[in-house]
Amino acid sequence: MTDIAVQLDSVTYTYPGAEAPAIENIHLAVPAGSRLGILGPNGGGKSTLLKIALGLLEPTSGRVTVFGRAPAQARRDGLIGYVPQKVEAELGFPMSVREIVALGATWRLSPWRGTPPAMKARIEEMLALTGAADFADRPIGTLSGGQMQRAMIARALVANPKILALDEPMVGIDAAGQQQFAALLDRIHRTLGLTILIISHDLRAIAAGSDRVACLARKLHSHISPEGLTPQVLAELFSHDLAGISGVTGPVHVHAHRATECCEHDHGDANGGGHAHATGNLTIIAPPMGGGGRSGSGGEGVNRADH
Amino acid sequence: MGGRGSIVRIIDFLADPVMRAIYLPGTLAGFCTVIMCGLVSPLVVVKRLGFIGQGISHSAFGGVGVAAMLAAMGVIAIGGAAEFGVIAAFCVAAALGMGLLADRKRTPEDTTIGLFLVGSMAAGALLVATARDRASASGRAPDARSWESILFGSVMNAGNAEVVLAAIVLVVAVVAVLALRRPLLFWAFDEDAARAFGVPTRLIRGALMVLLALIVVTAMKIAGVVLASALLVLPGAIAMKLSARLIPVTLLSIACGIFGLLAGLALSVQQNWQPGPCVVLVMAALFGLAIGWSRWRSGFHARSSR
Repeated sequence: MTDIAVQLDSVTYTYPGAEAPAIENIHLAVPAGSRLGILGPNGGGKSTLLKIALGLLEPTSGRVTVFGRAPAQARRDGLIGYVPQKVEAELGFPMSVREIVALGATWRLSPWRGTPPAMKARIEEMLALTGAADFADRPIGTLSGGQMQRAMIARALVANPKILALDEPMVGIDAAGQQQFAALLDRIHRTLGLTILIISHDLRAIAAGSDRVACLARKLHSHISPEGLTPQVLAELFSHDLAGISGVTGPVHVHAHRATECCEHDHGDANGGGHAHATGNLTIIAPPMGGGGRSGSGGEGVNRADH
Repeated sequence: MGGRGSIVRIIDFLADPVMRAIYLPGTLAGFCTVIMCGLVSPLVVVKRLGFIGQGISHSAFGGVGVAAMLAAMGVIAIGGAAEFGVIAAFCVAAALGMGLLADRKRTPEDTTIGLFLVGSMAAGALLVATARDRASASGRAPDARSWESILFGSVMNAGNAEVVLAAIVLVVAVVAVLALRRPLLFWAFDEDAARAFGVPTRLIRGALMVLLALIVVTAMKIAGVVLASALLVLPGAIAMKLSARLIPVTLLSIACGIFGLLAGLALSVQQNWQPGPCVVLVMAALFGLAIGWSRWRSGFHARSSR
């Protein structure tokens, strides 16, 4: 198996009828076992990129491979475990957490076959790893946002995927849940050695689970790890309450890109893929790639600018 | 109403040879129908397919119109397998059409369903009336069924052929639900994630639409075009008020259907009312009781935990 988990070469996607592409000329190589966070504003093309990586959309041009295979094939082969943005189960949905988690693996079984013991063991193992074992017998519709997320991560892991893809994992999660989420992703990465792909407009989600960060606003910035934007830097930036940052109001959108590659060309983007610099947003500028700014020592080489 | 007494009454009623000959085929077809409806009903409720069920059942009226025209032209006979086949084909086409358009999401789902619903009703009304005129003009016996029996059902319309067809559809429904249960449940819980996991969601939706169409055509004999979708919605809705576990919910849903059928028929015989509305009203009353029970139980738990 190749050591590149996801590779995109010159990928452009334009939705039918749209004038401008949703994503344009994306080059991306995600090494197997790494944790990549893709950060970007709403409408910046993150979901499109994820759908392309999952094989749910065919790129208009360019080539995509997932462990050397076509994404749809990789999906059919169970290489990708997907955690959706938000699942709102009916309160009375008549299934337990364990039953829903098990479906992640058992849906592929022959209908006349019971769940094999090894699969059952894997289901229990993933329930325990994600901490969902504590509420595995509860009806799925009674879970909180954080519990539902753990259940959905367990469901993604039971089929033994090589990639865990999380779509906006912080939506609907309370502060305590966010801390647990960071610890959980770390535990999953250490235990299973998966490639983790997180897409979010929320820096906290990216900070919690990534060791590489790329920014997507139609075009991809910093498609190779901006080493200056390490988890340590992000953790330091967000170690205090965001509300305490002067001038920052409302949701925080962050753009991380090379200082040498400023974002004027994307300002005022007509298709909604432009940077969200309009009101009270925070911009993080990472040091130039390959330059001398690879401090990794915290705030050095990182500028904050309140708009 | 006295459910137990009513059930004893209908058993006594069926013991009478003349009444049995009239009611037994319909009752047996009804049994098959409520079991298949009860089986898929929880899925219809959690996936919010009640309105699409309504759309399919009303589309059946278009199928009734086409069958009536074919009968007036002497191509098929009214009643039996050929008519069932024509109505089922019409419903399957309508169900797949609605499912496909809803899946593409270019037109709002309720608009699509509404369009099929009223279009089929309008076409059915014109075709049935035209077929009657045409049959009279050509000297053929016109379709003797009343509008009420088409719209609201009548177990007395059922004969042995309907029993056999209902039994076949029941077997098809049980096998299909068992065979597809895992991907169906995955799809019902979270359609987008199911697609991302590789579940063939379009195929699953299509298969369910075909199954619902077959069930609705069978249910028409009991509840008619207008009320058939109630048999798809009410048993599952009642069961989900009583439990949140898959197997108990499914069994309760089937049990509610059987009870509703027996009590509804008993009420119908006792009061000389049409059976279809009686069955549906009994189930609606059960739903009211289930809501009361569910609220009392939540209040009881809340009081106990204080």
